[in-house]
Amino acid sequence: MAPPEDLEDLDPGRARERTGLAWTRTAIAFGAVGAAVLKTNIAAGLTVVGLSVVIWTVSRFFPDPAGSDVRPRQLLLVTMTVVAVALVALAVVLLGHPSSGVHAPKG
Amino acid sequence: MAATNHPHDRGEEPASPEGAEPDARFTFANERTFLAWQRTALAFVVAGLAIVQLLPPFPGVPWGRHVLGVPLIALGGVIAVSGFRQWQRSQQSLRRQEPLPRSVLPQILAVTITAMAIVAAIVLLVSAILRH
Repeated sequence: MAPPEDLEDLDPGRARERTGLAWTRTAIAFGAVGAAVLKTNIAAGLTVVGLSVVIWTVSRFFPDPAGSDVRPRQLLLVTMTVVAVALVALAVVLLGHPSSGVHAPKG
Repeated sequence: MAATNHPHDRGEEPASPEGAEPDARFTFANERTFLAWQRTALAFVVAGLAIVQLLPPFPGVPWGRHVLGVPLIALGGVIAVSGFRQWQRSQQSLRRQEPLPRSVLPQILAVTITAMAIVAAIVLLVSAILRH
């Protein structure tokens, strides 16, 4: 099979590649939030880091949003994941021990 | 922004095919916008978390960190859900080849950041006054 003459035919405007990168950035953002939460609450932090793996997996195993009416369920999953992270953060903030901050003055 | 009574606005798949499949580039662009809003929502959550967990307490204002952090976290959740709704509405408009719906998200973002800046300034002022 001859390769396509123009890459544009395969991926117009490199839209597919840019969207893949956007998914990667989103998964990395989850990982960063998870690392931040790890500092204060190990269980919650590990959960959020696990969610970043879920986001990454969603983008890897369902790689083609073109055609049909794009994966609303996967996007809803991402939305619910962010909401879950927000709820975990609220619980940590409201129910956790009051923190003295990372640079609290001594004495 | 004006609400319409268009029967297709309820997000249901109509019996007949609704519009044409939009250009893949538009579909991809809509999805990237959705992801960008989700990252923005996450940034709000982590900012609120950092304010409460990492900042030292404001002298004289023990509630200061929570007043700043909790609304940011809650807003992160609101932005995540609004971003999804916006993606749904845009995708519907693309299929029907209608103008894209106007998003309220930038307004929410601008108003919130302004409000949080004002609240932060007030907390800092009150803390400075009570300290001396």
